[in-house]
Order: sequence, then C-alpha cells, then structure tokens
Amino acid sequence: MALQINLLHEEFTQERQRKRDPLKLGMMALGAVGGVMLLFYGGKAYQTLSLKNRLSGVEQEWAKVEPQVTKAQKRAQELQGIITASNVLDQLVENRFFWAPVLQTVAGCVAPNIQLTNFDGTLSEDKLVRIALEGTAAGTEPRAAAEEFRQLLSEKVGEGYSQVDVQFKSLEDLDAPVMLAETSVPVARYSILISLRPRGEETPATKAQNEASEKK
Amino acid sequence: MSALPKLSKEQIQKVILSGMGFCLLIYIYFTFFLGPLNRSRTAMERRMADLQNKLRNSKTELRRASSLEVTAGDATSRYAAMEGLTPEGAPIAWFPPRIKTFFGEQKIDKAVVRLDRNADLKEPELSDWTRYSWLITLPEADFAAFGKAIAALENAEPLLWIERLTIHAQPDQLQFQQVDLVAANIVKKK
Repeated sequence: MALQINLLHEEFTQERQRKRDPLKLGMMALGAVGGVMLLFYGGKAYQTLSLKNRLSGVEQEWAKVEPQVTKAQKRAQELQGIITASNVLDQLVENRFFWAPVLQTVAGCVAPNIQLTNFDGTLSEDKLVRIALEGTAAGTEPRAAAEEFRQLLSEKVGEGYSQVDVQFKSLEDLDAPVMLAETSVPVARYSILISLRPRGEETPATKAQNEASEKK
Repeated sequence: MSALPKLSKEQIQKVILSGMGFCLLIYIYFTFFLGPLNRSRTAMERRMADLQNKLRNSKTELRRASSLEVTAGDATSRYAAMEGLTPEGAPIAWFPPRIKTFFGEQKIDKAVVRLDRNADLKEPELSDWTRYSWLITLPEADFAAFGKAIAALENAEPLLWIERLTIHAQPDQLQFQQVDLVAANIVKKK
C-alpha cells in the first residue's frame, strides 16, 4: 500500500471548520426561518388587505344607509313621544271631572221650599269630589224638608257617581219664619256635605265591593 | 455513540450570537410585523361585524319607522289638534280674554280671570306642556245660565278642568250668584 502524504491537511481542516461555522449555520437557519415568517406574513397581509377591501365596501354601504337610519330613528323617537304624550293627554281629557252634570243634579233636587245659598265644590288630586251646600229649608216641618232634600240628593247623585256620601254638617232652626205660598212657615238652615267619585275612579276596595254586589 | 464535537470558544460565541440573532428576529417579527397586522385585522373584523350588525338592524329600524308612521297617524293628528289649542304668545296674554269672551257669549259678563300659578306637569311624557291654574270670578252669574256655560266650557276646552267651584247667593242682587272657579289648563310650551 502506497504511503499517502496529505500536504493540504490544514487547508482541509480550515475548509471543514468553515463549513461547520456556527455563525454561518445560524445565519442560514435564520434566513430559512425568516423566509417562512415572511411567507406567513405575506399570507396574513393578503387576508388583511382583502378584509380591508370588504370593510371598505360595507362602510360605503353604511354611509349610504346611515343618514336614512338616523332620520328614521329620530322620526320614530319623535312619533313614540307623540304617541305617549297623546295617550297621556287623552287620559287627562277623558278622566276630567265634569261639574255641569253635578250642578244639574243638585238643581234638579231643589224643591220650591228649599233655598240654596252656597255651593262649594272641590276636586282633589285623587278624584274625590267634596261639595258643601248651604241653604234654608222652609215648611211646617223644615227639618223634615231638609232631610228630604238630603235623601233626594243622595239618591240622585248616587245614580251618576260612586262612593256617594251625603251628610248633614249642621241643621238648625231659624227664629224668623218666611212666607211660602202666602203662608208663614218656619225655616231651618242646613249645611250638607257631599262626597263622591266619578264612575271608574273608585278605590280598589270599593271596586271589589261593587263587583261582588253586581255578581249577586 | 459519538460525542458532539467540542466547540471552541470562538464557536461558542458564534452560537450565542446566532441564538441572540434568532431571538431578535422573533421579537422584531412579532412586535413590529405580525402583531400590528393581527391587531389591525382584529379591529377591522370587529368593525366589519359591527357595521354588518348595524346594516341588519337598519333594515328593521326603517321598517319599524315606516310602520310607526302609519300607526301613529291618529295620535299625531290628535296631538296636533291639542297643540292647536295653545295660541302663540304667553298664556296670560290670551287665556283671560278667551275666557271673558266665552262667558260673554254665554251672557255672563264681568268675568275676571287671574293667573294663580303655573307648574310643570308630573307626567314625564308631558315635559313640553305646562299646567296653569287660573282664578275665574263671575260676579253676576245666573245659576241656570252658568250651568249651561260650564257644560259648554268643559266641552269646548278639552285641556281645561275645574278644580274648585264656589257659588254664592248675593243678598243684595237676588237674581245673580257670584261664582268663583279655580280652573287648571294645560298649555304647550312655545
């Protein structure tokens, strides 16, 4: 076997070392990883760009629709406000207490021997109406005439209203008689308190009571 | 089992340098490239979803508004009619003459109308309306004529109601009664 002398041993070693240079290998690995990353980034960037294009289209569509929607929302809000306000106003109008029928009822109860000198009616927030009547009753039995007037009031007012209560506050004989149908008759001064509620404005307890009595 | 080639000091330094370079690359990639891109993409997706949702809702809103327009026709006309009951100007300027004229037409003269107070209504829906309270004195009223006048007033003025009504017989003028009214009126703020 022939003896071989490698005179380029050092050169070979250097060449090997160059090939195994960690920095070179690292740079190559970095380059490879960087390339993969760049490709991945490119893919993502492409997706983002296409999303941006779609978003731009949707934004344009929304820009067209938005003024109409804002206008419609504003109008709907306005209409909603009008509807609720109108309903509340309707309730206020419909739930008003009308005094003319009460006056008519009271006037219808005043007999020729009854004189009404004062009428004071008050409507409270809870729709309870209180009326104070003052006047005189004349007749051979003035107190009986006043009581008759009270009963008639109770009956007639009760026909149109609920929770009607008609009570004497005072009833006193007067000294001076008056002429009634050319006859001198004694007089009594009365003061009557009426309380009533319009139908439909009863308290819950009264409503239940009324419903129970209607069922019977 | 072959042992790993023993690295020289210089090679170890290069390996560390390569590792640092790799870490730097990763950091730069995620911090300055992929991170912002993902954030931007997420923001766009969110905005897209939001807009698409708005577009879907807008169709419903438009339909709702148009159907409301149809159903609110009656309420709108009623509301306009009630608004029309409030003339231009301060109520103190137009309400007393209106009531005086009204009672004058009912043959009840010498009506005196004074403003008692005004306040906002309790109902939040009627924030555009104000409640005025008026003291109305009719020194020369006939009971029968007054009864008819009250009925006519209550029918003619839907936004007015009487809170207190006092009728006194007048000892010196037996044919007349003095009437005092406290009337509340709802007026549109203008």
